[in-house]
Amino acid sequence: MSQISLKTFKKVSEYEWEIPRQYRPDMRVPVRVFASQSLLEDSFKDKSIEQAVNASTLPGLVEAVMVMPDMHQGYGFPIGGVAATDPETGVVSPGGIGYDINCGVRLIASRISLDEAKSWLPDLASALNQYCPSGVGVGGTRKLSIDDLADACVKGSGWAKNETFTSPDDIRRTEDQGCLAGADPRKVSPRAMERGRTQLGTLGGGNHFIEVDLVTQIFDEGAARVMGLHTGELAIQIHTGSRGFGHQICTDYVRRLQGAVIRYGITLPDKQLVCAPISSEEGQDYLAAMRCAANFAFLNRQLLLNRVRDVFEMVLAGKVDHWQLTQVYDIAHNIGKFERHLVEGISRTVCVHRKGATRAFGPGADGLPDEYSQTGQPVLVPGSMGTGSWVLTGTQISMERSFGSSCHGAGRVMSRSEAKRNFWGESLMKQLAQDGIEIRAGSLPGLAEEAPQAYKDVDRVVDSVVGAGIARKVALLRPLIVIKG
Amino acid sequence: MACHGYVEVDHTADIALRVWGENYWALLQQAAAGMYDLMGVVPNPDTSLDEFFVIPAGTHETVLVDFLSELLFLTEEHGQVLDHFSFSDDGNVLSIMSTGRKIHTCERHIKAVTFHNLTVKTTEAGLEVTITFDV
Repeated sequence: MSQISLKTFKKVSEYEWEIPRQYRPDMRVPVRVFASQSLLEDSFKDKSIEQAVNASTLPGLVEAVMVMPDMHQGYGFPIGGVAATDPETGVVSPGGIGYDINCGVRLIASRISLDEAKSWLPDLASALNQYCPSGVGVGGTRKLSIDDLADACVKGSGWAKNETFTSPDDIRRTEDQGCLAGADPRKVSPRAMERGRTQLGTLGGGNHFIEVDLVTQIFDEGAARVMGLHTGELAIQIHTGSRGFGHQICTDYVRRLQGAVIRYGITLPDKQLVCAPISSEEGQDYLAAMRCAANFAFLNRQLLLNRVRDVFEMVLAGKVDHWQLTQVYDIAHNIGKFERHLVEGISRTVCVHRKGATRAFGPGADGLPDEYSQTGQPVLVPGSMGTGSWVLTGTQISMERSFGSSCHGAGRVMSRSEAKRNFWGESLMKQLAQDGIEIRAGSLPGLAEEAPQAYKDVDRVVDSVVGAGIARKVALLRPLIVIKG
Repeated sequence: MACHGYVEVDHTADIALRVWGENYWALLQQAAAGMYDLMGVVPNPDTSLDEFFVIPAGTHETVLVDFLSELLFLTEEHGQVLDHFSFSDDGNVLSIMSTGRKIHTCERHIKAVTFHNLTVKTTEAGLEVTITFDV
């Protein structure tokens, strides 16, 4: 093994690179990277590729470990990683899914033009900040009984189907209809249940946000029309996950599986890659608990959407023609699921781990709402704070080359401490305000960590996945309001 | 270099802490102090509390992760920041007595303590470890 450089890779195409399995003796499959040459070279500044090589040593992997162009160093797996394992001979790894299980993005369309809404944006920002609980340790307004939480874990988004602001289309237009089958709350620790009781309907802190955006450019008129996106009109993004509930489930199982790897004789280059055979008791227990967190996260974003709808009605009813909001799609970017994919030309069921990667099913794929069966599913790619976000669709090539996956965001290039050394939260806030963005943030140092300069240029990331053919451009959004915890 | 302490280490996406101590108990104390520092925890000086908890025996690494995970839970769910730990190890469990305060403010949420490249190493001065936190 040598130092990772461009010479380590075989160039497959302008936007696809591969490290052959022979690069390191313990690799079981190659590493396939989707990126322009410049983004690939940027990745050598941290350990993301080395982590992908480490991930390629897991038992039962098929085809290749994939890495998206928004990759950056994580712990164990790189962020931007996709790995699929055989259900009979392979493993499931909590580290390949992450602590924030089913962290994801929900996109909502409106028929509200900027002209109509402009003078109400400050009120809208303040009301969203007031009514959508956000910030470190901030709980929601409801405290569920353990039985109710267990019910929510099984039903996912459907748990909220009778709430005032839930539309049946919200659930239909959510990945897996907002509910993974096989969730079993009995496999969730009492501590995780305790943490989850107060956290439904909350945004949290860190890089989670609610944004009100303006649709500024359409690249695919047909797909945009189906999604309900129109130039000059508002759209909303909600980015959050399973909160402390999911963090605790991952913590519990990463700990439990430290023993499992010894028991099953699995050798790992990094303890955070702990895993268990899918068919083992530990593997099955983790999958059942992880699905509870995934369903919790789908429901969490649904409840936040309901709050957002309530706020739009409060602030804009009677002032704009149509204040109602329509869900475009809801996607997970930290998740593990059984899906059918082509593996070396043969259709097989595999356990796909996506960590910082978005499902990007192409036209005709199973499980999509009828309206997206021709276009492929919407793929939501938020940019860094204050910059543009992209709406893409999955493609046939993503189904063939990347287990139906694409990028999930811009990807960090600067550590949080370096960002805090270089940027002040207060001046960043002023800069965003000068750019016409209403911002409400709970923590100024936290804001500095999320400075746009700490991230890659999301346009370069999107150009890479589009260049590789694993996604197509539909629309570009520009932020008008940013709510951060 | 002091015989115990901690310092933040750069990490692209998350945060990491290098911690050292003259023995394992000092290492745990410093890891706790460093983690609270990373979180920007400010205690409420008008409060005081005692807390007792146990964690299972294990390797240096698993005990360290269990200990810090317990502190994270107490921070998030009970709003507690602890110090002055007293450790008692009977071979099966580690019992921990501590005093502390209620949290006045907390700037940053830490999701979890990871096992990423986690190895407690012996040095000339005692023990040292680098811990990566998911934020």
